[in-house]
Amino acid sequence: MKHVKCVNFLNLDCEKGMCALSKAIVPIDGEGSDACQSYQPAPECGNCRHFYDGDKYGMGMCKGYEKENWAYATCGAFSCEKYESRRYQEA
Amino acid sequence: MNDAQSKIYDILKARGIDAENADGIKEEDIPEASERFSKLMEIYYSMKVTADMEIPYWYNRLWWENDGDILEVRRARAVGGAYAHSTPTVLPYEKLVMSKTKNFRGAFPFPWVCASFFNSLAESLMNEVDAPAESEADAVSVVGAGGGNVTESYGDIISIAKKFGMRKEEIPVLVKVSKYWEGISVEDISDKYAQMLPDYDQFKRNMDAVVVMFDSFAIPQGREVINYYMPLQYGFDRIIQLCDEKINETMGEAGEDGILGMSRGYYYAAMKEITAGLSKWCDNYGKRAEDLATREPDEEVRANYLEIAQVMHNVAHKRPSTFREALQMTLCCHLGVVNEDPQSGQSIGRLGQVLQPFYEKDMEDGITTDEEVIELLELYRIKITCIECFASAGVSGGVLSGNTFNNLSLGGQNYDGLSAVTPLEYLIVEAAMRAKTPQPTLSVLYDEKTPEDFLMKAAACTKLGMGFPAWMNNQTGMNFMLRQYGAEGMDLYDARAWCLGGCLESAPGCFMPLDYNGKVTMIPGGASPTCGTGIHFTGLPKILELVLTNGLDKRTGKQVFPPHNEKIDTYEQMVDLWKKYLDISNRIVNRINNMQMDIWRKYNMPAVNSLLKPDCFAKGQHIGNCGSRYNACINFESCGTITFINSLASIKKNVFDDRAFTLEEMTEALVNNFGFKTAYETNVFSPDFRESTESASKYDRIFAACIHAPKYGNADSYVDSLLKDYHMFMLHYLPTLRSYYGKPEYLCQISVSTHGPQGFVTLATPDGRLAGTTYSDGSVSAAAGTDKNGIYAIFESATVYDHSQNQNAQMNLKLHPSAVKGLSGTRKLLDVIRAYMRKGGFHVQFNVVGSDTLKEAQKEPDKYRDLMVRVAGFTQYWCEIGKPIQDEVIYRTEYDQA
Repeated sequence: MKHVKCVNFLNLDCEKGMCALSKAIVPIDGEGSDACQSYQPAPECGNCRHFYDGDKYGMGMCKGYEKENWAYATCGAFSCEKYESRRYQEA
Repeated sequence: MNDAQSKIYDILKARGIDAENADGIKEEDIPEASERFSKLMEIYYSMKVTADMEIPYWYNRLWWENDGDILEVRRARAVGGAYAHSTPTVLPYEKLVMSKTKNFRGAFPFPWVCASFFNSLAESLMNEVDAPAESEADAVSVVGAGGGNVTESYGDIISIAKKFGMRKEEIPVLVKVSKYWEGISVEDISDKYAQMLPDYDQFKRNMDAVVVMFDSFAIPQGREVINYYMPLQYGFDRIIQLCDEKINETMGEAGEDGILGMSRGYYYAAMKEITAGLSKWCDNYGKRAEDLATREPDEEVRANYLEIAQVMHNVAHKRPSTFREALQMTLCCHLGVVNEDPQSGQSIGRLGQVLQPFYEKDMEDGITTDEEVIELLELYRIKITCIECFASAGVSGGVLSGNTFNNLSLGGQNYDGLSAVTPLEYLIVEAAMRAKTPQPTLSVLYDEKTPEDFLMKAAACTKLGMGFPAWMNNQTGMNFMLRQYGAEGMDLYDARAWCLGGCLESAPGCFMPLDYNGKVTMIPGGASPTCGTGIHFTGLPKILELVLTNGLDKRTGKQVFPPHNEKIDTYEQMVDLWKKYLDISNRIVNRINNMQMDIWRKYNMPAVNSLLKPDCFAKGQHIGNCGSRYNACINFESCGTITFINSLASIKKNVFDDRAFTLEEMTEALVNNFGFKTAYETNVFSPDFRESTESASKYDRIFAACIHAPKYGNADSYVDSLLKDYHMFMLHYLPTLRSYYGKPEYLCQISVSTHGPQGFVTLATPDGRLAGTTYSDGSVSAAAGTDKNGIYAIFESATVYDHSQNQNAQMNLKLHPSAVKGLSGTRKLLDVIRAYMRKGGFHVQFNVVGSDTLKEAQKEPDKYRDLMVRVAGFTQYWCEIGKPIQDEVIYRTEYDQA
């Protein structure tokens, strides 16, 4: 698991973010990009139970709203009122 | 200390300035910025300018899901819904929150405005996505050059427009969203109809030759002043209630207006949508802060998150009840506007006057201190500095130099005609002195009523080398307002509300009654749409070149204008031909820009800005439907004025008066760059750098005559009179051009950074400037190195015409720091400014930095990451501006005496 996929990851730019717990700058790619034991999945479309049929680019479909539409897995979903964690659903 | 100095010190002491301690004031005497600011700036310096697709994705989705709805409602739903879905990022050191995107220094593309750029790149972008990944070492060690600019792709980052980094996984989203808009973006639709014009080819030839720099749709909003009155007075929940009341009143009623009357109901429905979107956006930041508080181990940081949450939830629903909430509300609205279009120059306006009632109440209630307010203002500076504009490489680099010109004005007059300076404005200047960032740039509206101690404080800030505050003449600005907007009912009261939109675009305003703290305060704000988007940056010297070459661009071999086929026998004949070519260019460019902006306002009308800008809400009309109080705001923008004037002087003197050589001989010398290598060959853009070719001696005589011809800026009436003639012509000619609002146009004289690229495409000029080097900067700055008689001689030259004829005039000066050292130096600087203002000069700004420092910074940019310079009407980090402009700034005449 990567920092960038963690709920504690605070977006900074295209190559890095900040860990909300340690306050350290963490890279998105490469060395040092693996998450720590405090990892919890971030809300993003790819983690939502309404997201399905994702292709190799992460492009899939969203059935969370009245009108079904395409979506992409890495889109942030913190602000989406229809977001439901896939993990939560499985539990 | 002599008697005169002693007397000055006594006077200043009586006004609250301790001269004894201030004399010899050094930069290090200024208090450090707050710890929060320093921590966030540390992050800022390591930031890459980043584009992502969250907001474009949601905009696109909501737009198409509402296909068939009333356009203004559909647009507001898409904009508001996109904001409401974006990921809120809250950092532990912040007090003010909200950003354009989830990233610290983020932006995003607008394919619904311009899709062709992305669609043309679709295949190559996808190829980059599918390419095998680089080694990990490469991926983490290769970085983009030039501060935060991502000029090349690396690792999983794709460079777009030579500035923005986008992650590979978002590229398929960019490509997919852009496809929706193929053939129907603002750019595409306007181009389809433009092609119906018989002179369309002339338009293309103009643009290809860079006679004119760029299209209006590229940045359709900005160069205007925002207005924060509505949310400060009512708050979002009450605005939604007001929309419901207005819908009840106007839906289905045309009133007296058979054309637009019925639109009012739809307007209010749209405003309800956009207000709900802004409210949700704020609430989401509050929720994220609460979320972070639940997992935050540090008590102090947790308390900060909870404070942020409370502020954001209050701002989401209620009218602000503290200074902090009011500042946060203005930031929310500002970001809301700058996110709804590719945009530069959405100016903050007179914030220190708008927020003074909130500051005053907090101080009365004892709930804040000046230091706390300064800290908030420091943090605000970072937020504004992070505002990026996603546009093409030409617009981002060639025009804007990466800046977005969010100008904050100070001073001027209040509603009652007295000095408008407030106690909060002192703190704004103080925050700028402590917290050094390029934005917001500051502008002082100099008025004889402005308190002396405020002017001294502002001058002390100017001395710090950040290039601001710039100084504008308040009376000249007011006179221009009455001249340009009088026909729309502008009176003296509204004229007093003007200030700078963009870097230097004088923009009309009005005062609105803020009911707060048990009293009504008339607060100023903008009252017009963009004061730009007319004809963008016409290279005046390039047109003269084309007169001499019979309309043929010798650089490209293409015929730009129809051949005039005239043998030019007199100076007057030559100027007439210049006017003819200018008119050919203007007529077609103006019509096509009008069409671009008309398509924009029909399909892409401002949503947030149409909520904020008076009198849209009162009229029930958005900005595209002339909802604003003033609409005669569209302009013609010039570039290279003094290069042009000096060139005219050289031809007049050498060819027609002295008959030293013929016009044909001069033209041949220009085509051959006076026998020197061009800047394209040497990659040096300084006018003082010359490398000879074998044919140099052939043009020695002509070159010497051109160099020694009379030059503007020396109080020489021979050349200054030509500047006056030019202005009198433009004053009467430009209003014959009409904007898409059906109003007369006027002259705007900001070069921004266009004197770089427009100089690049221009051959050598008759003033002795070599091919490819920059034009003169500004509009009344002397050409670099040609002003020999001191600052006051330039002032004499610059004021040979009435500056209130035009939207602006731009004077850039460079002072060596030693020229303004200590308090006496501050006084000298203010004396210089005052002298120019009293002569009627509109604007002056200063780079207080030595050329040696700049040369060192050019060699070793990494050592000067925080060095800032004034380019045109804006300040930018040295390392983030292009080499031609760097060369030009280095070569500007440096005065070692004020």
